Amino acid sequence: MHRLPLLSLLFAPLTLAAQQAAAPHDSVRGAIRAVDVSARTVEVAAGVGLALTVLRLQVPAGVPITDREGAQPEPIGLAALKPGDVVRATFGARPTGFVAYTIERVGRMEPTP
Amino acid sequence: MTRCGVVIVALLAAAACRRPLQPGDPLRGLSAAERARFDSGRGVFDSTFTPETGLGPLFNASACAECHEDPVSGANGDEVERHAAVFNPDSPGLKCDELVAQGGPVFQDSVTPALRAALGIHNEPLPPAATTVAARTTPDVFGFGLLDAVPDSAILAHADADDRNGDGISGRPGRFFDGRLGRFGRKALVPTLREFNDGAFQIEMGITNPSVPVEGTVGGDPLPAGTDPTPEPELGARGLELTDAFVRLLAPPAPLKQKGEARRGRDVFTQTGCPACHVPTLRTGDNPIGALRRKDVAAYTDLLLHDMGPDLADICFALATPSEFRTEPLMGLRLVTQFLHDGRAKTPEEAIELHGGEGSKSRDLFRALPAADRAALVAFLRSL
Repeated sequence: MHRLPLLSLLFAPLTLAAQQAAAPHDSVRGAIRAVDVSARTVEVAAGVGLALTVLRLQVPAGVPITDREGAQPEPIGLAALKPGDVVRATFGARPTGFVAYTIERVGRMEPTP
Repeated sequence: MTRCGVVIVALLAAAACRRPLQPGDPLRGLSAAERARFDSGRGVFDSTFTPETGLGPLFNASACAECHEDPVSGANGDEVERHAAVFNPDSPGLKCDELVAQGGPVFQDSVTPALRAALGIHNEPLPPAATTVAARTTPDVFGFGLLDAVPDSAILAHADADDRNGDGISGRPGRFFDGRLGRFGRKALVPTLREFNDGAFQIEMGITNPSVPVEGTVGGDPLPAGTDPTPEPELGARGLELTDAFVRLLAPPAPLKQKGEARRGRDVFTQTGCPACHVPTLRTGDNPIGALRRKDVAAYTDLLLHDMGPDLADICFALATPSEFRTEPLMGLRLVTQFLHDGRAKTPEEAIELHGGEGSKSRDLFRALPAADRAALVAFLRSL
């Protein structure tokens, strides 16, 4: 009977991680749907099958954002994230919503990676 | 004849007399444990859920087998559901909005009495933002375990996004939001059968489970208090695993014996260029289940997205544009009673006639055939 508002829905990786217990945070891998640099938020599209979710993450200043597309990981700014980027993020729940701990850009959502 | 020779002859005779696989049969070669999971999984697949056992509050059906039903569990059905999305072709990055924030992409057509009493609705309302609504028929799921076992590389080998070979066919892979290659669903969104099954419990029946532990919303709004009395998850991991085993191990129905007209139709199928998209055979890769390992599956699909032209276009979905659809598998076609993604065609001939875009050339070749050849092609399709 647990209810969460939209944009804060959970999905498989989160649950599986939680079930493995003692995980200090959840994680998600999905596509950036929107970036609001001034509000420091990103929305990540993900889900299980056709049960889709969009997760909104607050991204405080200082959260490491890394580009892992190249041979060497490189730090990038929030503004460098674009809709369609595939990211892997760790995050935790706060009273104000979900807060990112780390964000890694791992690719682009394209037919040919 | 030697004793060894007698044994060989007996084995060959037994193989020759082996009953062809029927709709709903499991794959051949399962272990006893796999067969037991298949049988138990069929029980879950056939189970009818109620609000007390987790159904809803929003749902399209109360059992997997309510839709996948004709002629047996796992087959197709006559139910048609609603999907909606907004296509923004000029948007950078993701051009498709699946309306997740407004309850999409699947808008359920039924609600439980409790939700009806609370909100006065009979289905999930479509949001005003939805620019396109698509009808989606219920496909069969025969042979889906084999499709799941086809390596990505085998699918990508058929991709030709830029039509470099100049044949007018430019299949490209669908992708899920995490970048993995998609293969299930009419828009080739979902990478694995397990995810497709787990998600379907929540999307189609409102059954939360360890993979999807949260109910959907009503057009983006949380469910009213008291409308979902069953604790989450409403189905446990064991139920998910068994259901997956049933679907995964369902065999594709054996094609009918092709004689005369149907055999000639197979040649016509090739001459009209159909195999460019409806690739006759895919081969599975390594797999922990022996019955799925390194098998040829006569699926007649490339599992790629193709532009089918503006007349068939409806919604976008992730990378798939409104006019792009995954090549529909043709295995088991003889059991199908409505054709194309939305069921608008009532016969295979109609379905061919409605092919556009990359299918136009084959359609035109079909139209130009003598009547006997057209009939032969349809006879071939009706034998699958």
